[in-house]
Amino acid sequence: MPVRVETYERLDEAARALASSRTARFLGGGTLIMRAVNAGDQSFDTIIRARDANWSAIRAEGDGFVIGAGVTMAAVVASRDLVFLAPVARSVGGPAIRNMATIGGNLFAASPYGDFAAALLALGATVNLAGSSGRGIPIDDFLRDRERHATSLVQSVSVPRPRDASAFRFVKVSRVKPKGISLMSIAALLPQMGGRLQGARIAYGAMAPTPIRVTAVERALEGQSLDIATIERAAAVATEGIDPPTDALASSWYRREVAGVHLKRLLSAERR
Amino acid sequence: MIEFRKEYFADERDDNLNEIGKPTQRQDALGHVTGRSPYYDDHLFDGLLHIRCVRSPHHHARVRRIDTSEADRMPGVVRIVLGKDVPQNLNTLLSLLDFGLDDEPLISEKKVSYKGEPVAAVIAESDRAARDAVAKVRVDWEELPAVFDVEDAVKPGAPVVNEIYPGNLFVYHGKYDHQKLRFGDVEAGFRQADRIIEGRYQMSPIEQAPTETCGAIAAPETNDRYVVYTSTQALFFSLDTTSKLLKMPSNRLHFIGGTVGGGFGGKVDSLHEPMAVLGTVLTGRPCKYMFDREEEMQVGAPRGAERWYIKDGVMNDGRIVARKFIGYFDSGAYTRLSSYAIIKGVGHLPGPYTIPNVYADVYCVFTNRTPATAMRGFGITGVDFAIEAHMDKISYEVGVDPIELRILNAYRDGDMKAHRRLAKNTALIECCQVAAEKAKWPLSRQAQQASSLRDGGGARAEMPPHTAIDHNGAVTGFTAGSYARGNKKPGQAQPVSMPQMPRHETAPVTPRYEPAARPQPQPAPVATQPAPPPPAQTAADARRTRFSSISGLRRR
Repeated sequence: MPVRVETYERLDEAARALASSRTARFLGGGTLIMRAVNAGDQSFDTIIRARDANWSAIRAEGDGFVIGAGVTMAAVVASRDLVFLAPVARSVGGPAIRNMATIGGNLFAASPYGDFAAALLALGATVNLAGSSGRGIPIDDFLRDRERHATSLVQSVSVPRPRDASAFRFVKVSRVKPKGISLMSIAALLPQMGGRLQGARIAYGAMAPTPIRVTAVERALEGQSLDIATIERAAAVATEGIDPPTDALASSWYRREVAGVHLKRLLSAERR
Repeated sequence: MIEFRKEYFADERDDNLNEIGKPTQRQDALGHVTGRSPYYDDHLFDGLLHIRCVRSPHHHARVRRIDTSEADRMPGVVRIVLGKDVPQNLNTLLSLLDFGLDDEPLISEKKVSYKGEPVAAVIAESDRAARDAVAKVRVDWEELPAVFDVEDAVKPGAPVVNEIYPGNLFVYHGKYDHQKLRFGDVEAGFRQADRIIEGRYQMSPIEQAPTETCGAIAAPETNDRYVVYTSTQALFFSLDTTSKLLKMPSNRLHFIGGTVGGGFGGKVDSLHEPMAVLGTVLTGRPCKYMFDREEEMQVGAPRGAERWYIKDGVMNDGRIVARKFIGYFDSGAYTRLSSYAIIKGVGHLPGPYTIPNVYADVYCVFTNRTPATAMRGFGITGVDFAIEAHMDKISYEVGVDPIELRILNAYRDGDMKAHRRLAKNTALIECCQVAAEKAKWPLSRQAQQASSLRDGGGARAEMPPHTAIDHNGAVTGFTAGSYARGNKKPGQAQPVSMPQMPRHETAPVTPRYEPAARPQPQPAPVATQPAPPPPAQTAADARRTRFSSISGLRRR
């Protein structure tokens, strides 16, 4: 069964073609899908691609940015606007992967991949689907229903700009540096009003089938000043309500043991 | 930056050597860094066919039926190969050295014993067509209970992993279910010791992870020969293995290797060359068989896991007077090279130390894990980790500085080793001294002045006054010597009858062997002993005789 490639000029045409076939996959950067092709994945026989230039554009809009789903990790690193996301993009793969891997593809990357999606989750991004007018989907809902969106085509992601540079923090924990795969990644949005945290959002990558919010930690932080006592309380509930996976890189037990340590370091802005 | 300490052993060394002690560029370095070295997969053939295997998703299962009818009709499929198509479908790598029984099929027919074991091979016009057809082969599996832990595998009632060795233990020298080392009397040593210090050490399997995955391309050549481009790191070993499995004279095989894209031991198993040649024999066309990355990790053989129990008798001043090892090598489902790793490892015991009483029982255990194979220093690295971790434990418990402890117990030139060879060029003491100096680690004056050239030999060169021997773990039904072939015709390597192998149990240490007094040697073994132990050697004998790499003593 040879694999067929269909190329469309417009994104909405590609979206329609994708939605109408169970055995089609959309090619972003190909870092996940070409591996499946090479391994003889029997679940699809068609690859759909689009040449729409908008799909790889970054533009400012309101109090944030609209990032095309086809924007690569390398383009994020190179962007003057997305400086706050550059460390996240730089943590993905090596240079060759970053030149191809897209932020749209990262939204669908199975655990332990998807570090960029974890950062977008902490930032409270909105996912805009191709061919659907109207408002985007909050990333929390998108990730929760990710399987249902398997035949959707993401056009772009809207990301609000963090109020100040120190309000957004990210760490990727891996055993091999650089280019290691995540044992976990932690993204934290820590906006402060009058010395108190307000609307803190904490997300983990590689701690569940999709990137997840860590509501117990967010509750521990909300309304508090980011001092040692608060950080201790937050670290104590680092894995509350979370059942981390066991995979080739780390056991569930190990992830549970180290999550609080890494969270504590991130919140106290300790250099590692 | 290499620093030469030429003050050491100056009188033992010839400094007029052309290569030794001088940096030398690898001859293939330029080709590698400029991307011009040709690897096996760089050789292009018109009409190349691709081989992919149908692999077991289970760790242990019986194959009830293989249905290839749908796969046969898939576009691009040229031939599907089953176990019955392999002329001699049972082999063990070291049969080439007459060591061990044939225990592993190239393509399994009735049973699989590890996840990823091949039961069929599809030959097709493209890699994709082969993969698509593999997905259409229907195998009716009967899953069997599996065993993954070495000590569980030797318990009574454990699943039989490898039917050639029903006790899940390799048989050494046709006699025992483990490799023995007996030097002196450890039990007497333990009684003499001030304290007993025990430890358990466990190593995991390690994947060699070559950049180039294992593989080979075979093609028809003139004069009814086959040319094979291969990634093997053991060219003639792979050639002879292919010759045996395919019952083909080795002069019909023309193997070309030489550029190994990362080996580290993981490219000696010779799984690909026989399959590629078989494909070429069956189709008359060039065939390529190569692991993909996932197969390299799951099916390609790693360094095996090891478990070691060490029990030491130690004096309060740190001297070790007795050391006992119980070791388990996890060979995975088949022997491959673990049996040999144990021979090598046991020759190394008790490490670079002179200990008057040493005992080892080391088991090569079959489990439902990926077969283990070679990796840099295998047989030594694992037990050295155990020994050195244990030395640190002794240091801590006895309160002797860890480096001083090693210098105190270090072997010295002229000492008798437990495998009955005299140690020479030992140099552990000097290594310790330089390491301490580099680390600015304070050493006592005595330790600083110690030398591997002094205070060895003499009484330390003598064989122990008596060695306690036993016949624990004796097996019947296996023969020593040429037991790869037994008494039968070549190519039918099965034990004569299914051997009755006792499970792993430790009987009391009987009988004892009293060495004959020199210079009048007397026959020491008594008639009641089932098998006479090897005669004790003196230092003078040991100089003339040495332990061969595999199977026994030979003249130097």
